[in-house]
Formats: sequence, C-alpha cells, structure tokens
Amino acid sequence: MSRRLTAGLVLCLCLTLPAQAATSNFAAQLQTLAHDPYWISLGHYETGKFGGWRSYVDDQAFFLAETGPTDPAAELQATLMAVRSPENLGDQHAQCKYPARTRWLREQLQLNELPSPDCSEFAVWYNDINPHSVVLIYPAAYLGSPSSMFGHTLLRIDQADAGSNNTAMLSYALNFGAFIEGDDNSMLYAWRGLMGGYPGVFALMPYRDKMKEYSRLENRDLWEYPLNLTPEETGRMVEHVWELRQVKFDYYFFDENCSYRLLELLEVARPGIELTDPFQITAIPTDTVRTVKQASLTEGVEFRPSRERELLARAEPLTTEEQLLVLHLSTGEIQPDDPGVQALPDERQAQVQDAAFRLVRYNSENQDRDDQVADRSYELLRAINQNPPEPLDIPRPQLPEEGHPSRTWQLGGGSRDDSAYAEYGLRMAYHDLNDNLAGFPLGAQIEIAQLKLRQYEGNDWKLQQLDIATIRSLTARNELIKPWSWQVNGGLQRVLGKNQNDVLVSQVNGGGGGSWAIGDEALVFALATARVEHNHEFAPFVASAGGFNSGVLWRNALGNLTLEGSGDYFINGEVRRSLSLNQQWEISRDLGLRLTAERAFAQQSSPVNEVMLELKWYYY
Amino acid sequence: MKRILLGTLLAAVSVSAFAEAPGGPNCGWGNMLFKGQRGGVAHFLASTTNGTSGNATFGMTSGTNGCSTNGTLTYGGRPMVALNGMMDELSEDMARGDGEALTTYAVVLGVAPEDRDHFATVTQQHFSEIFSSSDTTAVDVYAATLNVLKQDPQLAKYSNPV
Repeated sequence: MSRRLTAGLVLCLCLTLPAQAATSNFAAQLQTLAHDPYWISLGHYETGKFGGWRSYVDDQAFFLAETGPTDPAAELQATLMAVRSPENLGDQHAQCKYPARTRWLREQLQLNELPSPDCSEFAVWYNDINPHSVVLIYPAAYLGSPSSMFGHTLLRIDQADAGSNNTAMLSYALNFGAFIEGDDNSMLYAWRGLMGGYPGVFALMPYRDKMKEYSRLENRDLWEYPLNLTPEETGRMVEHVWELRQVKFDYYFFDENCSYRLLELLEVARPGIELTDPFQITAIPTDTVRTVKQASLTEGVEFRPSRERELLARAEPLTTEEQLLVLHLSTGEIQPDDPGVQALPDERQAQVQDAAFRLVRYNSENQDRDDQVADRSYELLRAINQNPPEPLDIPRPQLPEEGHPSRTWQLGGGSRDDSAYAEYGLRMAYHDLNDNLAGFPLGAQIEIAQLKLRQYEGNDWKLQQLDIATIRSLTARNELIKPWSWQVNGGLQRVLGKNQNDVLVSQVNGGGGGSWAIGDEALVFALATARVEHNHEFAPFVASAGGFNSGVLWRNALGNLTLEGSGDYFINGEVRRSLSLNQQWEISRDLGLRLTAERAFAQQSSPVNEVMLELKWYYY
Repeated sequence: MKRILLGTLLAAVSVSAFAEAPGGPNCGWGNMLFKGQRGGVAHFLASTTNGTSGNATFGMTSGTNGCSTNGTLTYGGRPMVALNGMMDELSEDMARGDGEALTTYAVVLGVAPEDRDHFATVTQQHFSEIFSSSDTTAVDVYAATLNVLKQDPQLAKYSNPV
C-alpha cells in the first residue's frame, strides 16, 4: 500500500515537476523584472521613506493592481494579466492604455502571442504627433519676474522634417506643471505650489502656443537644446506619455517639479541612463539642463529672443527724436504718413515703423483686444510691408547653463568696528545683484533660505542672518518702456540698536520705484520702502517704518559693484540709515570673492563700520 | 527630508511653471491683432469630439489659442489648424517677407522647398490683399492666399485647398 502510494506520488511528482519548475522560474523572472530599473521608471517608483516602494503617481487610475502604488511586483503581475486579456475591449484594453509597458513586457518575456486589440484612439494621437526627435526647451529668466530665474523646462517633440523645413511651430510641446482649477490668489497659489497642494499633470499642446506664452506674454527668451534621442527612443517616450495622460502626480515646486519629471521621461526614452539621482533635494531647471548636457544628450543649442528683446534691439540704434516718433506712432498721436516720419531716410523710417509696431504689440499683450489698437497695428504693418526693415541681428547671450550653480557656501572674515569675526553662510538658492553674472540678467536677484553665522573673537557665536526670501527686480525704464522696479525681503537679521548693539530682529520689508540705465553696464535705482519689524528694544511688539533704498549697480571688469544707501524712519521715532559698498571679483564660474563695506547709523548709537572679505563657492 | 520647504515668499512665482486650466487665462491669448485667432473660427471649423482626455490638455488641440478642444478637424485641414494658431506671427512675417511663420505656412500649403522663396515674395507683394483689414479671419486669409497663388504661374499648382 505504502509502496503504491509512493509510486503514485513519484508519478505525480514526475508529472508536475517540469510545470512547477517552469512556474517558479517564471515567477523568479517576474520578480527580477519587477525591480528592473526600467519597470521602476515606468511606474515612477522611488524607494519609500520606510523601505519598500512608493510611486510618485498620486492617482489610483494609473495602476492596475490595488497595491500598485507601493508594489511594483503586483503591478507587473496585474499588467501581464491585463495585456494578455482576450476580451475585445478596444481602446480600453490594457495594451491600448499602456503601450510602453506592453512593448517592454513583450520584449522582456518574448510575448509573441498577445492578442492585438484595436487601439485606434492611441494610433490617431500618436500619428498626429508623429514623433521623431526631441528638443529640451528652457525659457530664460525675465528680469521683471525674478522668480522666473528658477526657470522651467519642457520638451518639444518634432516630426521628421521639422528641422529641415524650419517648422517647429507645428511641433508639440510636452509640459509638466501643476494643474490649477479655479482662481487662487497669488499668495495661496505660491503656498500651495510649494506645499504640494496642486496635482501635477502632463500637458501636450502646440509648441507655437508655448512660444507665445514665453516670448510675448512673459518676455522670456527661449533656449532650445536638440537632444540626440533616436526616433525609436523618442517613440518609446511618447508611448509612455500616453500612459500618463490625465494621471496626477504630486507636485512640489522645488523637487518633484517639471524638471524632475522630464528627466524621468528621458530615462524612459533611453534605458540605462541615470539622470534623476542628483536631484534629491531641489531640482532647479538650469541644473537640469546641465545634467542633460553632461549626459551627452544634447546636440547644439538654438536661441529664440523674446519680443521685448527684439523691441529693444530695434529701438536701440534710434536717436531720441526717432524714439519719440516711435512712441507717438505707437499711441496713435501721429500716423505713418506723418511728415516727421516721411522726412526720414527710407532705412530709418523702416526701423521707426517696425519699432512702433513692436511697441504697440508689446503694450497690448495681456490686454483685451481693442479695435483701435488693432487698426493702428494693421496700418503700421502695411507701412512695414511697403518699406520692410533690415532683419534684426540679435547676438546670442551667454548660455544659461554657463551661469553659476544654484547653491552657495560662503566663508568670510571681517571686522565690526574693533572686533574681528569669521562668517559662515549657506544659501539654498540662487543669485543676488553682485553674484557672478554670466547667464543671469543684470539687476535681478532671488534668494531663498539664506543662513549666516558669525564667530567673533573668544569663540562667541551669533546668528547673523536667516532670510526666508529676498527678491529684487531692477528693470531699466527708457523712452519706450517704463517698468517698475521692486523688492521684497523677509527673515531674521541683525540691525544697529542701542550703544552699538547688533540686535537680532524679525522683519519683512519691501519697496517699489524705478531704475534707469547709464550706458550698457550700469543702472541707478531709487525705491521707496516700507518695513515691519519685531525688535525687543522697541516698545511696540511690531514697529513699522517707511524709508528709501537707492544706489548704483555697475558691471565692471572685476565683477558687479553695488553702492547703496538706505534709511528706515520708524513711527516710534527711531531712524536707521546705512551706506554700503559691495564689489564682487569673479574668479571662476563657481567661485567669487566679495568685498563688503558698510557704515550703519542709528539714533541711540554712534555709527558702526563693518568690512568683510568673503569667498563664495557656488556649487550644485 | 526630500521636501525641504525652502521658502514661502514666492508670490510672483512664474506662471510658466504651471499648466493652465483649459479655457483659463491662456485661452484666447490676450490681445490678438487679428480676431480670427480668438477661438471662434477654429471651433467653427473643428468638430470637437468628446475625447477621453477630459479636462487637461493632451494634444490635438487644433491650435485654438491654448483652449483645449481635443478637436479633430473636418474641414480646412492642416493649413487652417496652423494658420489659426499663428495669425499674428504670419501677418508680421508676410509684411516683412521673411520668417518662421511664413515658412511654416508655405510648408502646410504644400509648397516645395524650391518654391518657398518665391512664395515669400509673392505673398509679401500681395500682403494687403491677403490680410485685407484688422478684422480679417483665418478663413479669409486662407481663401485670399489661394486666390493669390492661383494668379501666379509658378505657384498656381498650390492653389487647391489642401
């Protein structure tokens, strides 16, 4: 009996063993595949905070397995089941919804006998895009909006003939951004953007719309870096993009932002490249451009000047009288047939008319259509048509990625009256008026999270400064355009108190005014300011002041110099003023030496002088 | 600590970092010189299918000023789509006789590379026929362009609607 049983068991084992072995091999293979970097990329997984996996995708609809968001293996199993489904689901079939997953699984597992559902929706979409190559787009910073220094990156997907025909206007732009519904006011908007209050989604739109948005509405130059992705790699990426339509990601302004997501897409396009690792804390778009460049993905660069840059370039060679004609033409005070315009030599007349047309369009951006303005524009266009100007020749500025990296360590030594100190500083981002200028606009400053500690003689440590943010935008006014200059700052800082004390106060201040260019390399600025401050030497808990801040910013052979004076006149009677000089010496892209001298005055103290020499190391 | 909060004072955060709600501020592109760009024409020409992409822009927008339509065009084809999204650029380029929008227009009209310079010259000469007023629409421009091409021996072959 027992022998028969054994025999039976053996027989049974013999029958089932090969199948079991195959199954367990297959299971092992699936386990391996589930942790393949490519599958991890397709699911946008990261290693979770407590081990295991977590997907950046915050949308159950993206996953086929219940536990998909945290379990790449389960998701793989479910995907495998779904793509094999014989059901006639048309566009709803997993193969149609997940073309990139399907392609990869088919290749990895030699799935030669999958059903072939009719994915007409995907096919129409894919053929409309007709992907062939990819261009990385970086809209440059705009002076009037210093936060644009953080920049943005998007991708352009070109058809095969886009380059030879010069038809980028027919290409699609692929953009990742927060999806904002309804109207938030800007403070709430900023806060929610930073804190992840908005979902992030991919959007695909005609590139010409993006060109308008940046070059016309925001006055930002566009840098275009063609990538060397093959048509096959491009196609693979676009297939994955289809999987991501309507899919919501977590969106955080500083790390899980546009740049990070685009790098992930490039990793999907070209398996094996590793781009996202360096961005564990912040992903600033210029750093992203640098990373892509270092990975040898780029091939050359194109520059597309903004409409404002074109306008200024057109007006620049004109005399003051000619610029007045431009202004009057643009406001409709005179017509193109005005004797003053007609008296000009043909070539100058052409430039004046073109500048006037550009000015009309510039001033009417961001406004509702006005029939009169449209008529005026049209008349100028006809005048241009009769006497077209020479094409604009705009020199390409320095490449944005040649600018200094975003984070800065600072080491300084100096004296405050008679006491010597060492100063240690860290700034998370990004650029001030004096910093190494290459790749940045002159007159723009944005700083986020800056800490400075001082060590005085006798190992006496002091918190010198803790800024949350500083933004300054000094944009020159001229005959034709008259932008405002403004600044805001908030955080902890030391100010001159009683008897030469340096008192740590918490404060917020801001100001507005104007800037004017002196030649190409300098500008003067004058701003009226307001300040609220919590200062333990003051009786009220919060004291407020009005004041001024004005000075000169001069680009010289060493670097940038600022010389500025400021005053705060408090309601409680305190008056503080200061005079300061800062000169940067640009040693290399990543290094700068700064001399700072300041003389501070307060009512209940004698003046205090500070001089400091500081090394700035821009890294990462 | 991945999500270190670096700051809060970014009231002026550039809009560009964020996608727009469809039909939102970018829908209609502010002040266009030519009315034709402001939506109507494209909606008239494009029969919008009820796409699956719902509310976020996802391609096939048919160039309707940033408004998401997910439309499939039924009439006018590629030239209308392109034209409708670049009326202002095209008018400037055509007036001056050169530019990317003008080249793009030639390409979508099927003008061969060797005829594009001539196309630029002819359309510049007939600028005020093609853009006949500030109220011109994309439909007018398209029709007028074909009319102008028809009268030019070298370009007449491109004058049939694509």
